[in-house]
Amino acid sequence: MSKKITIMIVDDEQIVRESFLHWFERLGYRVEMAASGLEALEKLRQFGFDLLFVDIKMPGMNGIELLGKVKEEYPGTIVVIITAYGSIDTAVEAMKKGAADYLLKPFKPEQLSLVMEKVLSQKKLITEYEYLKGRLDKISRFENIIGQSKAMQKIFNLIQEVAQSDSSVLIVGETGTGKELVAKAVHAKSRRAQHPFIAINCGALPDSLLESELFGYQKGAFTGATHPCKGFLEIVSGGTLFLDEIGETSPKMQVDLLRVLQEKKITRLGDRSLIDVDFRLISATRRDLEEEIQKGNFREDFFYRIHVITIAVPSLRDRKDDIPLLVEHFIEKYSHETTKKVDQVSRDALALLQDYDWPGNVRELENAIERAVVLSKTRTLGKEDFSFLCSPIIRTAGSRSLREMEKTHIENVLDECDWNVTRAAGILKVNRVSLHKMIKRYGLQRPL
Amino acid sequence: MKPIGVVSFGEIDGMVLKAIAAHILGYLRIDTEIFSPLEYPGYAYDPRRLQYDAGAILKAFESLPVQSYAKVIGVLDADLFVPILTYVFGEARQGGKCAVVSLYRLKNNPDGSKASSPLFLERAAKVALHELGHLLNLTHCEDERCLMHFSGGIRDLDTAPPYFCRYCSVYLHDGLASL
Repeated sequence: MSKKITIMIVDDEQIVRESFLHWFERLGYRVEMAASGLEALEKLRQFGFDLLFVDIKMPGMNGIELLGKVKEEYPGTIVVIITAYGSIDTAVEAMKKGAADYLLKPFKPEQLSLVMEKVLSQKKLITEYEYLKGRLDKISRFENIIGQSKAMQKIFNLIQEVAQSDSSVLIVGETGTGKELVAKAVHAKSRRAQHPFIAINCGALPDSLLESELFGYQKGAFTGATHPCKGFLEIVSGGTLFLDEIGETSPKMQVDLLRVLQEKKITRLGDRSLIDVDFRLISATRRDLEEEIQKGNFREDFFYRIHVITIAVPSLRDRKDDIPLLVEHFIEKYSHETTKKVDQVSRDALALLQDYDWPGNVRELENAIERAVVLSKTRTLGKEDFSFLCSPIIRTAGSRSLREMEKTHIENVLDECDWNVTRAAGILKVNRVSLHKMIKRYGLQRPL
Repeated sequence: MKPIGVVSFGEIDGMVLKAIAAHILGYLRIDTEIFSPLEYPGYAYDPRRLQYDAGAILKAFESLPVQSYAKVIGVLDADLFVPILTYVFGEARQGGKCAVVSLYRLKNNPDGSKASSPLFLERAAKVALHELGHLLNLTHCEDERCLMHFSGGIRDLDTAPPYFCRYCSVYLHDGLASL
């Protein structure tokens, strides 16, 4: 029935150490003992402990010195100081140096229980903090943006540099390249990381709704405004606002946002009082904004405000070296999510994935892997699991005649059936003789 | 199985020993014997603390020839301490042979009034059963409705039930089976 927390008693008096030992044994803890500060440090180096009870007065290294060393080398270890009446000042000094609590010898049995309760809840908090910090590190270590290619390494370096400043950032790139992930990484690496990250897709909201979402409103500002509501510009306070599809915003919204960026103040809809706001703006677009300026669709002054720094995220076809890595990542992700035992992709299937153009970029690749994992009946994804990608109907149907389409379709079905004419005829819903005639008519030949 | 021995250090009210023996028999179904009083442990008195050192008593107690008993519980009127604590109701080593129970702090209620005789006897029996639990290798239990839950003061002792939770009961019977 031994409990998981590990305890060490550091006291030069054997009788005190044994007294603690018996107490904690009766609580079900495993306890180690040390007669001096040096012995305690040696045992810490060897085993590591969650909790130390340290007597202040010890020959050689005293308790305060030991506390200092422990806090320096093992900050996660909790130290409770044991002291006698008359050395309260030292106990206060110990608390300032990081001791979790102190006990005046001798103490009432219930005091030790209370200290243990406090220490255990502190330990739980430390564990939770470490866990959350680990998760945050995982996000900010760019683990969510997969890539070993030179193009992505440049992006990672740029994110590191950009995160240190507070300037507005414009992320450009095709759809599905991971612009929001880049924005999140900039936020996570910046000094605003402890504050909110709010993402809004400007293209998904009508102008009036976007306005009320961003600026908030007072009661009665419009029909249905039954109570005052804070906008995202207020809620994001201290954090990062990510406006995706900024190229879709109306000229009026561009003017409103330009004013906010210049003055760092807003007014809620239906209200005149100014509210200070503090946020970093990251915008993203798949449009060529300079071209939009030429066409008169985008304000030039707003453009210069939002693109102090530009990050251009490469398309997947420009970083095909990353495809094997991405495939591996998504297979792991979806085999875990779907609990299907799929753990690899065949060589020819990988070649197919690397040949494909990926107009929808990483998002399309992810969807393709998810679909293949869900439908696969084997542990290895083969070329046939990605047959939906090969279909030229999807890619080039617009410019082909019906005759050409028929030829391509028959050829594809024959390939899928490994040129088993009976099976192919079954799929095409024609008899074998007709299929043979079509093969002859279109001059189709089985690949060598 | 050898019986559990119950003994006093010096003279105490015989009813206390009988109550402890009856509780052990009643709750654990083990034979219990009360034997002749032992000498009052004057050697364990600490004039600085005006209390008796529970560790010193236990050490001397464990050196006595008590082979005819599986475990032995000694009861005394003295106020007991261990070096780190201001007082203890009782003391026993995990899996040890002997335990001591102090009646000193069981006589009065938290408000200073004198406890009724039945309440005092029940307290003594609870402490004895709790210490016997340690002798049978039970550790403190997190369940407040278990006798092995730690009692920091007389209030806790009064709210503790005189029996063990079902988990501690299982460990207790394992401990008894190994005697």
